[in-house]
Amino acid sequence: MKKLFAVLMAAAMCMSAMTACSGGGSTGVTPETQGETQAASTDASDYEVTEPITITWWHAMEEQYTDLLNEVIDEFEASQDLITIDAQYMGSYSELNEKLATAQAAGEGLPAIAIANTPYVAQYGESGMAENLDPYIEATGFDASDFGAGMLEAAQYDGKQVSLPFQISTQVVYYNADMAKELGVEIPEKFSDMTEFLSKVSIVNNGTTERYGTIVPGWDQWYFETFYLNNGVKIVNDDGLSSDLDSEAAINVASTIKEWCDNGYAYFATGETASDDMRQAFIDGRTFSVLHTSSIYNTYVDRCDFEVGMAWLPGGDDGSKLSEIGGNVLFIPAKNDQATKNAAWQFMQFLESKEMNMKWAEGTGYMPTRNSVLTTEEGQAFLEKKPAFQCIFDNLNEIQPRIQNPAWDNLATIWKNGMAEMINENMDVTSSMQEMTQEINEVLEDQ
Amino acid sequence: MSNSKTAAPPAGARKRRKSTSAWLDFLCVLPALAFLLVFIYYPIVDLVRISFTDWNLIKPQYNYVGFDNWIWLFTGSGTKYLLNSLKVTVLYTAGELAVTIIGGIIFALIFNRMTKFFGTMRAIVFVPKYVAMSSAAVIFLWIFNKNTGILNHFLGILGIAPVDWLGDRNIALLSVLMLTGWRAIGYGMMIYLSAMMGISKDYYEAASLDGANAFQRFKSITLPLLSPTTLFLFVTTFISAMKVFQSVDILTSGGPYRSTEVLVYLVYQYAMRDFRIDRAATIAIVFFILLLIFTAATMKVSNKNVHYDS
Repeated sequence: MKKLFAVLMAAAMCMSAMTACSGGGSTGVTPETQGETQAASTDASDYEVTEPITITWWHAMEEQYTDLLNEVIDEFEASQDLITIDAQYMGSYSELNEKLATAQAAGEGLPAIAIANTPYVAQYGESGMAENLDPYIEATGFDASDFGAGMLEAAQYDGKQVSLPFQISTQVVYYNADMAKELGVEIPEKFSDMTEFLSKVSIVNNGTTERYGTIVPGWDQWYFETFYLNNGVKIVNDDGLSSDLDSEAAINVASTIKEWCDNGYAYFATGETASDDMRQAFIDGRTFSVLHTSSIYNTYVDRCDFEVGMAWLPGGDDGSKLSEIGGNVLFIPAKNDQATKNAAWQFMQFLESKEMNMKWAEGTGYMPTRNSVLTTEEGQAFLEKKPAFQCIFDNLNEIQPRIQNPAWDNLATIWKNGMAEMINENMDVTSSMQEMTQEINEVLEDQ
Repeated sequence: MSNSKTAAPPAGARKRRKSTSAWLDFLCVLPALAFLLVFIYYPIVDLVRISFTDWNLIKPQYNYVGFDNWIWLFTGSGTKYLLNSLKVTVLYTAGELAVTIIGGIIFALIFNRMTKFFGTMRAIVFVPKYVAMSSAAVIFLWIFNKNTGILNHFLGILGIAPVDWLGDRNIALLSVLMLTGWRAIGYGMMIYLSAMMGISKDYYEAASLDGANAFQRFKSITLPLLSPTTLFLFVTTFISAMKVFQSVDILTSGGPYRSTEVLVYLVYQYAMRDFRIDRAATIAIVFFILLLIFTAATMKVSNKNVHYDS
């Protein structure tokens, strides 16, 4: 008996870490809801802030943005007397997501306002975690129609405006413009022309690559996702329960990317330091181009000793050249009390204002999101400072919302792992894609 | 006779004193017991309950779904992930046990000399244990970098092609174990050293007089008398190795291609990335049962093979 007790004690101690990370000791059947679930009133007085209040803002802006962040907060606090902001850096998007989920489950410790990477909008909207902002917009007359249509849609779930676009980016090709001039080349407009193009700009001697044509980020499927979308692959079928990543079109795209890598024209970047390694390879001139997010434009320009060019991602043969929205949105957790939500809405309106939007766009690599900026003289002034953004301005209507499916995160992980394994381990493309799709279908059906 | 009668308390009083003492003992352990009940046993019981729900961490409500999660784990898409993680965890645990126990004994034998130089060397070997795993893992992330890491730089000097330490599925787990070994080997050494000092010199003198050489003395005296220490290291290292998380999270995030996805990381993925607390709880219970069986088996085996007479 004593021995059994000893074994139980030992095993229980073993489990302490497990129970901590698997949510032990938490809720009842219905976790406590502190505030009203949804504010439905469209009376402006219901959204006023009447008492002094300090609200918390969870964000993922790193140290280089601290001055800009403080400047914006100081301006907001100076603009009114009642609301003070406690801005807290919560790490990367995924770390912020984990902290939000934990606070949501605990029913306390939620921020008044937070940013979220665009793919999380579906999860937050579906779960009711994010407040429906439609009544706020209607009651306070906030002009949401001034946002680009695709951007606004990306911040919706099931037709409800559960967030607003904040720091928006999209996928682009960065290239060494000096090198391009020297070689007399331009980034092709079609994906099918890429293999020939990459063979011209890369240098491969006796099977050893001295300069890559491009680098495909394999740590996030977002970067190669548009190649599939523009070539007729839906990724998630209309039934929401299956994928067409085993279709002929999808296999063709995967085969082409693998061919680039097999020939030494490109490499598929994976691992914990893949992003840093890719960035450094471009800065060092070890690659002609990279596929990356437009938000990192300032970093490349500051660190490269050559002219940095930015081009739209090559599209499909039928002229399709869609891209997908990246960056983050702002949302208000629905569980907060109404006074906190009202203060958060005041702050959100300030952050989303046209003036602040330009401030973010100029101080970071994110793009202007307001039509009243994009299509006016202010937009032209922005382009004079950052001419490389012309390719984005030319294709604003092509920027689409992300695919919204509650199982998306899981699907994306299987997809990028499958691509990495197929390319880096030199596996058969057709069978790899079929196997991967089967796994994705199981996940979609399991939800 | 009369004196002894007055000295011995009556049986009833002895019984009362014993009973009072037992209550006092119980009161003394009560705070610890309460702590265990609230923070260890209740969460374990709650895990079982959660495994019968469909609880998504960010949703406000959940339902009881019977054995759905268990069916998913043992006959659905969860099976292959569980089996893969079990395999990875067992391999990692075997590696850490080997490093801690075999490496620990070897280092203890090398450094078992009470001079200033060897004292300094012991400290150098032991110090990594005090470096936080998160800090050490970030440094190893740089060391292992395929393009800019110092390890490949040295290999290059020797004319060896760069190795993808964290990106090659056949090497990644070994790389994680290298970090573990760097931290654990000094700990194993110190535990064995302290045990070696407790072995009476008489045994060695007697064996020498009988003509035993150094290896025979080690095999027939040191090793058997270190068996309680080995058991202690085996059980504690096994449990900590099965729970490995931080180094995997920082170095590989379970990749490449799930080749370092240990059990705790799998639980973490379901709980914190997919928000499927229900599935995470189901896997955690399986893990708990496995540890329980192993701990019981180890204790049973240890009764026959551990010598406590040093």
